[in-house]
Amino acid sequence: MDRYVIEAKDISKNFGAKQVLDQLSLSVPAGSVFGLLGTNGAGKTTLIKCLLGLYKISRGKIHVLGDDPWDFMEATKEQLGYVPQSDRVYPWLTVKELIAYTASFYKHWNAPLIEKLIKEWRINPEEKLGVLSEGEAQKVSIILSLGHEPKLLVLDEPVASLDPAARRQFIKMILQIVSDRECAIFFSTHITSDLERVADQVAVLKEGRIHFHGELGALKDEVKRLHIRSEQQLPDDLGLGREKVIYCESSAGEAIVSVRGFKKEFKDIIEATCKARVEVEDLNLEEIFLELNR
Amino acid sequence: MSIKAKYYFTVSTSSGVPIYRQIIDQVKTHIATGRLEMDVFLPSVRQVAKELVVNPMTVSKAYSLLEKEGVLESVRGQGMKVHKTSVSKKDLEKREDQMVPLLKEVVTKARQLSLSKEKMAALLESLWKENKNG
Repeated sequence: MDRYVIEAKDISKNFGAKQVLDQLSLSVPAGSVFGLLGTNGAGKTTLIKCLLGLYKISRGKIHVLGDDPWDFMEATKEQLGYVPQSDRVYPWLTVKELIAYTASFYKHWNAPLIEKLIKEWRINPEEKLGVLSEGEAQKVSIILSLGHEPKLLVLDEPVASLDPAARRQFIKMILQIVSDRECAIFFSTHITSDLERVADQVAVLKEGRIHFHGELGALKDEVKRLHIRSEQQLPDDLGLGREKVIYCESSAGEAIVSVRGFKKEFKDIIEATCKARVEVEDLNLEEIFLELNR
Repeated sequence: MSIKAKYYFTVSTSSGVPIYRQIIDQVKTHIATGRLEMDVFLPSVRQVAKELVVNPMTVSKAYSLLEKEGVLESVRGQGMKVHKTSVSKKDLEKREDQMVPLLKEVVTKARQLSLSKEKMAALLESLWKENKNG
């Protein structure tokens, strides 16, 4: 088994003159739940479509389950599950009919698993897809993506149309999937509280570039907000180096600065170089997301 | 006897503290206060993950860091239990450690509100008495 289920190196994607992905690199470890965080228009869906070979990348290299997405082998496709953002193509079919239709595309299909999930999620198999609510339709798509028991499940904004109760149910299902079988999950979202429960790896996408990539806990350890009070003018980089400063707001001897790559020594460095007093504030994921997107 | 994770741990996603660290802090608190005693087995990673609705990797990270610190001890085929020495070290220093992060927050807030050290001490004094009486 490879260490990574997804490896993208220096990939770019242009639509005409518009560059959506800009030399982006990403690696998703096997068995992980990977959350891709980004604002609307950051390039999440484009990235997902490139990873699945639905868009051709302009530059760079991608390996998904060891294979090139643009030229996926059939065997690789059998191991991939994908839930796109909106997926209501056959409103005239019943849930049961859609299941049978989807199953016919795959060599391997775990019918009892689907039956079990349909029951657990309280979906009526006789219902027509056209009359399902947004949340129910989403659940059906997710369940269908699991029938062939993929090694990698890719979900594009899976919780966007779900209410808090359905979102919690979704998270429980994701956690159940990862603890029951060998399956990595890659999903995009902008809802940070869900991500925090379910993901162990996270990447922050902004304007086509990755701004953080690593363990979720590490992100919280690395991005902090500093409250600084000083008698003297504060230097722009606070003696830390420009690349560490995400955002700085200062007036008359007081400053609020968000920094990346935080280490405990920062406090001492700033206090020494700027003759200042520094308080370190922990940020939750949502605040970090907002800071990185300023 | 197995412990129900929900009664022992609570996680908050709106906190600036990573979930794995929240679990670590809570295990230590429970040991310091005697709620988790020596040789007691903690609920399994799977169970905690399920009850708290968090990723199992997060729980397992917390447990393995606690094991590295000598707070927990892994017993083959049985899970994680509270290590002897971590309980015997249930001394003043350990308990003080528990208060430090809380007090740091208090100090920060007090400074923001321009309350003096003396004012804060007086406030603590009166709250202490009140708590005892109530």
